[in-house]
Amino acid sequence: MTLLFEIKELTGGYFDTNVVFDVSARIDHGTVLGIFGRNGAGKSTLAKLANGSLQPSGGQILLDERPIGRLPAHRRRELGIGFMPQDSMVFDNLSVRENLYIGSIGESPELFIDRFPLIARRLDQLAGTMSGGERKILSFVRSMIEDTRLVILDEPSEGVQSENIDLMACCVKERVASGAGIMIIEQNLRFLASIADHFLGLDAGRTIYSEASSKSSESEIRAILAL
Amino acid sequence: MSLALILNLAWHVGTLALVALGLAIIFGKLRIMNMAHGEFVMIGAYSPVITSSMGLPAWLQLPVCLLTVGLVALVVERAVVCRLYGRMFDSLLATWGISILLREAIELIFGRGYQSVSLPIPGTIQILGSGYPAYRIAIIACIALGFALLAWWNSRSMVATRIKAMVENPGLAQAVGIDTGRLSRWAFVFGCCTAGLAGLALAPTIRIEPMMGLDYLIKSFFALVVGGLGSLEGLGLGAGIIAGTQSLIGAAFNQTYGYLAVLSLSILFLWLKPDGIHSASR
Amino acid sequence: MASILLRASLLLAVLLPIPVLFGEFTAYQIGLYLIYGIAAQGIGFLWGKTGVLPLGQAIFFGISAYAGAMSLRFADGLALQLAAAAAIILLLSSAAFVVAFLIFRGRSESGPFFSLITLALAMIAEQTAGTATEFTGGFNGFSGFASIGGLDPFGNLYYVIAAAAVGMSLLLFAINRSPANLIVRAVADNEPRLQLLGYPTHAVKSLAFAFSAASAALAGILFASHQGIVTPTSTGFALSAELVILTAIGGRFHVLGPLIGAVVVGWASAELRFNFPYWELIMAAAFIIVVLRAPGGIAELLDNSFMRFAPNSPRDESARKDAPMPQGRRVAGSLEFDNVHLQAGVVRILNGISFKTPDTGIISVIGPNGAGKTSALNAITGHLRLTSGRIRFVGDRIDSLPPWQALNCGIGRKLQVPSVFKSMSVMENIAVSMLAGRASWTDYFRTRAFAWRSEELSRVLNRRGVPLKNSMEKQVGTLPQGHRQFLEFAMAIASGPSLLLLDEPCAGLSPEETALMSSLIREFQENSGGLVIVIEHDMSIVEATSDKVLVLHQGEVLAFDSYEAVRNDPNVMAVYAGSTK
Repeated sequence: MTLLFEIKELTGGYFDTNVVFDVSARIDHGTVLGIFGRNGAGKSTLAKLANGSLQPSGGQILLDERPIGRLPAHRRRELGIGFMPQDSMVFDNLSVRENLYIGSIGESPELFIDRFPLIARRLDQLAGTMSGGERKILSFVRSMIEDTRLVILDEPSEGVQSENIDLMACCVKERVASGAGIMIIEQNLRFLASIADHFLGLDAGRTIYSEASSKSSESEIRAILAL
Repeated sequence: MSLALILNLAWHVGTLALVALGLAIIFGKLRIMNMAHGEFVMIGAYSPVITSSMGLPAWLQLPVCLLTVGLVALVVERAVVCRLYGRMFDSLLATWGISILLREAIELIFGRGYQSVSLPIPGTIQILGSGYPAYRIAIIACIALGFALLAWWNSRSMVATRIKAMVENPGLAQAVGIDTGRLSRWAFVFGCCTAGLAGLALAPTIRIEPMMGLDYLIKSFFALVVGGLGSLEGLGLGAGIIAGTQSLIGAAFNQTYGYLAVLSLSILFLWLKPDGIHSASR
Repeated sequence: MASILLRASLLLAVLLPIPVLFGEFTAYQIGLYLIYGIAAQGIGFLWGKTGVLPLGQAIFFGISAYAGAMSLRFADGLALQLAAAAAIILLLSSAAFVVAFLIFRGRSESGPFFSLITLALAMIAEQTAGTATEFTGGFNGFSGFASIGGLDPFGNLYYVIAAAAVGMSLLLFAINRSPANLIVRAVADNEPRLQLLGYPTHAVKSLAFAFSAASAALAGILFASHQGIVTPTSTGFALSAELVILTAIGGRFHVLGPLIGAVVVGWASAELRFNFPYWELIMAAAFIIVVLRAPGGIAELLDNSFMRFAPNSPRDESARKDAPMPQGRRVAGSLEFDNVHLQAGVVRILNGISFKTPDTGIISVIGPNGAGKTSALNAITGHLRLTSGRIRFVGDRIDSLPPWQALNCGIGRKLQVPSVFKSMSVMENIAVSMLAGRASWTDYFRTRAFAWRSEELSRVLNRRGVPLKNSMEKQVGTLPQGHRQFLEFAMAIASGPSLLLLDEPCAGLSPEETALMSSLIREFQENSGGLVIVIEHDMSIVEATSDKVLVLHQGEVLAFDSYEAVRNDPNVMAVYAGSTK
């Protein structure tokens, strides 16, 4: 497997307060990195550092072994890093259709949209009229259909019913099978364990668990979190 | 109603719509309460004064206007406005300071007194037996054409959607690949340039002086409020109602009553129908 | 209290010797700046706390100046003149309250629209004052009256103005110390949350506007006496804008900021005007820099350097007082939906929902995404108007009440995305929720209400694992999402509601936090004996906590029964495709 994305001893946070300290991880083509940890552990901050919403104060971010740590988010998107944020994940004042295609250049695969009838049925509705879970799904689908090589997902299953979580897992697996890398943050450990190839556990901004070879099970992660 | 009155109305509505177009982009889309908008109209109006004082031919008025206004707008955006997106009331205060700054700068260069410039197209055209200035007819036609082109472009381009997305959620807009800095910069400069164009068009018909901007600023704010932010239809409606009320009541009674009618109408709209007649929020 | 008097006497000590030290003309000038400063203090209060920016304060300033001048021309004797002044201030602030109430009613934002209305009103006032020559003297101005009490504008009137400035500051300092200050600040921070805590935010904003109008009116009366002439410009747009500028430069978040701004700007322009031809250029540039670099103005800069020497000491959590019982009704009873339809535009959200809950217990609401779960809660709290149908709680209709009346009906609510006051500390958030529904008028001006704790709240705060107790002084905006969930839960139960609505309380929580939240919900229900309605997706939580489960699907009730029965319901199984575990 070939290296797609790598972070080395990454440190960063908001303004002058660092939240994440010396975190390293790598994502190969066609693999999923699952990130878990308590509230306030620095997971979302790590995602924002990786996508460029926040700028790191130390360490390196590499895409195809090229440093991208100083690039703004829109440049990283051009280089192929997609992002689904945890909150404010859709444009409320745009229609569902506009939300889906705003980040796409040219044609995008329709198949992910057809999977979720509640999206496909309401392309002309304003995204702001959708419920919380529906917005999550919309943002997830948007990040899946974009032509990106790495997708960062920050708690996609929050407020989503279990059938749709299963559908999300299928979409992720298909994207991975076509060679994309995924970085996913989840509280739903069953979902996380079912899709991730590697795991990164965070607490108080530092790595507490990093398993780079074999699959961890849900119960193993629970045991780590209970420590 | 006589034809001259109708053409007069078209002139007032058209020029107000052109002034308000820039504010519709800057206030309606970018959510910057640009109190210096009138000053860009003023700078545009001074561009014939610039060309004539430098001895340049009259056809250079248009490029000189766009260059001057565009450059000033770019500097203002880079230096001040780019820090104020998402801070509406701060943008109001800072641009209020900019408006004073621009007025004083123009006064420093050209003095406080009135300037006037001659009509580039002299003479009148006979329509149905009554004469009307050819220059005004040409400008009305240009504005109508311009708005038609803009509506056509707007219906095909994603730019309006991208601006809407950027203003609502800048972080997510960046994440889906929108260069928010560049987009907002050029939207702001474009908005100011239309104001400058309006100033250039108005220049031969008014007294040009450093304080002239305020009136246009206020009227365009009210036109936007009455018509509804965010759509070209609303902009046209709002400009029509404000300019129409003022010129009709102004003609029937006096200018003060026309002015008071516009103010009262705006208050009623702001109070009872704050989204305007034609709201773009669907 | 002592420190308030200290600050006020410091101000007095600075202002009193000015005529003696710098001469009467300087005092005359400073007097005018202080008059503008008093009006600006009102703007600072309104804008700095509630976030409402008034662009037409000169309406009150100017009308009051005209009315004051007329009363001075016709009324003899100090008592009569003072009575007239008081009447003018009272009338103008009541008018301001009525206008603001009409505009803010039915809205929960402060946007630019209110500002533009005040701007237009100021322009109307200026035009009218210029046109109605027989009353106002037109553009020549209204003159020919003596100053109040016959005081010399170049002499003793200065002391009256200084006293007014000190009195105004004293009042503002006292308000800053009181719980009322928290409520006013909460308006700017998060209006929907404040409404759910039972506050009619439109009335709060209108009161603040009335207060700012009163300060402008006071300044206007002083202005008439000070200048001896009133012209239309004193009621116009330019003066309104200038007052806002003074407020911004001086600092809108501090009591003395606007006074400082008025004196500094007034003095600087007087100096520059004679020495430098383009002084306005410098003033404008300075103003832009203040807005960009120091939004808190001069006062903020002074305050920051002062704080370095005297930092605030944290409050003691042990010195807590029992809160009075909440007002309004707290009777447990059933919630009933009677054929409720809800439509937004062409989108049909609820299609005839009918159910009746038992009087107590935990009801879980489940259903696919978009089934109408959150909308059903929005209908209960009045955030959405029903298209048809009725909602009753303990037998009374509640479907046409605005959100701020929900708390009074005994309804508490936690929103889907944690909705708290982000700019305030955890402690202040909790204080606001403790005031909700309990405080009487006088309590808003007594500091002891800050220390209130109720049994429900203490139980949550002191519970092991709840991550709030150690971050009481932290600003809520810096807390992670999950901690805000606990805070909002604590705030929702603080008033001891008999119907608690929780929208995905466990979203974003880790497994152990989820377990903690579930047990807190369970305990709250057992102790209160009321009704709790929870929207939840995680079936294991639903199974563990609920007495009954309401299943919604496409805006209709699919099932309403015990967890076991719902799980085996063929309709439910069809929707969930057999995967409810």
